[in-house]
Amino acid sequence: MKVQVESERDLQRRVFDSVLDMLPDVDNPTPLVRVRDAVPSGSVLLAKLEWMNPLGSVKDRAAWAMLRGLEEAGELGPSRPGRGVVEPTSGNTGFSLAALASMRGYPVRAVVPAKVPLEKRLLLRLAGAELDVTNDALCPLPGAEDGAIGLARSHARAQPDKYVMPNQYENANNTLAHEHTTGPEIWHQTGGGVTHVFAALGTAGTAMGLSRFLKAQNPLIKIIAVQPSAGHDVPGLRNVSELGVSKLYDPALVDRIVEIPYERAYTRAARLLRREALRAGPSSGLIFEGALAVAADEPIGLGVMIFCDDVLKYTASMAKHLPELGDAGGPA
Amino acid sequence: MTVSAQGVAREGVIDLSGGAGPLVSQRWLTERLRDPSVRLVEVDVDPKQYAAGHIPGAIGLDWAKDLQHPTRRDVPEPGVLAKLLGERGINERHTVVLYGDSANWFAAYAFWLLKLYRHADVRLLDGGRSKWLADDKLPFTTELPSFAPETYRIGAIDLSLRATVAEVLPLAVAASARAGARTHAGADAGAHAGAGATSLVDVRSPDEFSGKIIAPPGLNETAQRAGHIPGAISIPWGSAVNPDGTFKTEAELRKLYIEDKGVRANAPAIAYCRIGERSSHTWFVLRYLLGLRDVKNYDGSWTEYGNLIGAPIDKA
Repeated sequence: MKVQVESERDLQRRVFDSVLDMLPDVDNPTPLVRVRDAVPSGSVLLAKLEWMNPLGSVKDRAAWAMLRGLEEAGELGPSRPGRGVVEPTSGNTGFSLAALASMRGYPVRAVVPAKVPLEKRLLLRLAGAELDVTNDALCPLPGAEDGAIGLARSHARAQPDKYVMPNQYENANNTLAHEHTTGPEIWHQTGGGVTHVFAALGTAGTAMGLSRFLKAQNPLIKIIAVQPSAGHDVPGLRNVSELGVSKLYDPALVDRIVEIPYERAYTRAARLLRREALRAGPSSGLIFEGALAVAADEPIGLGVMIFCDDVLKYTASMAKHLPELGDAGGPA
Repeated sequence: MTVSAQGVAREGVIDLSGGAGPLVSQRWLTERLRDPSVRLVEVDVDPKQYAAGHIPGAIGLDWAKDLQHPTRRDVPEPGVLAKLLGERGINERHTVVLYGDSANWFAAYAFWLLKLYRHADVRLLDGGRSKWLADDKLPFTTELPSFAPETYRIGAIDLSLRATVAEVLPLAVAASARAGARTHAGADAGAHAGAGATSLVDVRSPDEFSGKIIAPPGLNETAQRAGHIPGAISIPWGSAVNPDGTFKTEAELRKLYIEDKGVRANAPAIAYCRIGERSSHTWFVLRYLLGLRDVKNYDGSWTEYGNLIGAPIDKA
């Protein structure tokens, strides 16, 4: 078969010159799909399927924006031969960063807390990353940097010729990625009709970037952060009480924080798959729960929910929280 | 800048002027990085941190391998510790400056251990490893120091710094009896320990204190029973530090420990946790930042007490 790619991407025929050209933006947005199950009449909720990013999660956006930013600043690239990236990550950012950086020829070292499941650590290795597994703080201090962030920073400080740390918790490009892509996509896809946006908080980059862009278009758009209850077990997310690690979070950019008992992230994710054929991961389940909680208080004209990633890499977590899955017949 | 202003204020309060005090600032240390009378030692919760990079000249000690007895549950034997310190280039006359990750958590344990063996001059770097890391202007390296071996003459163990179960159990029994008397004879009868009675400070997390959990998730060292020692006051160790890892001011600490929580300023105090490390951090606070005269670390802590047959336990 002979495929002719006339420019870098042919959006009509969906032919791309490279994965980098597939990364979403206003011309090539990730899909919005309506979710009906359990939504009260009078409210409309659309899920933005971020697992349709080339590497399977919303984090492609931040990872690429941070890498490009480092290249443009001369921190990575021909002027810094041999230099790679080191990043503390619990999964998705590391996976996107590892694959994209490896593709660009940069070595990658990921610092991962020991609580991160083996399947996610193996994905990082598959994508070419060298791994450091840290013991989590045994009795963490509120607001203090955890072990993974400190260790990644140590590599970057002690060996600046070998490593630069993008640092998703501080890097403005994490927020800008959403200001420049996710926000305009939502605005364009809803014809400017979006009334509510629901996002979870991890680094807070998504919620901050969306708020900056969308409120500049229409200050009445509500940005709602959905957080798991304290002591939660939802990978990639933070309760506001744990957000001290992020330098990006500005509470003024969030209209409301909805807290959801974290176990419901799992039950809701399973139900989304069974009722809507949406392969939503636990964080998406949590966000949908948050949107439903708001819909119970007020009609949602046109709500957009950021569904960060899919359930496929969380089967072990799902089994832990949904005992009805049983042992699926025991080990193969 | 608030941080430096606070540092100056604290130096005034507890007399760190001229570096005479046990808690030293980054500036104090940067002026002494090449001082041959000073040995800088890093002790981390996670020893990978030191290997990834450290302050130039810092000697790395592993709390589990180097600072514990290899066989029985105990501090290292004096001869073994003296040999280790000597081999790493430390003698008993050096000013040993300790720092580490997690707001000096295990660095404070090493501080207690060195004091237990009567090392004269031990200091703790305020803010520890994370505050140093956060300042890009401060030097950081993977290069390992190489000091010529020294002979370390170690002192006899100073039992005035260490509480044993033999000391803790009678306090618990007495507190339990007082609580029983209150239940039977009304709230005022024999309710309170005297003003000179020892304060027991439980520095574990609130869930460990209340007995909701025995140990933080994923930890091997545990106990048969959950709860706390009767009469203990719950003050989680991290309450003593700011988000940047520095200790709170003397006034803030005094308010928290003495005024709000009721640690008796003019009486003995004993700190305990799960395995005796977190409590070293609070031991440092009570002894050196609040100036209590008689403070002990109960290093047996909950993993000893919570396994005793017949010992009284309180929950919630």
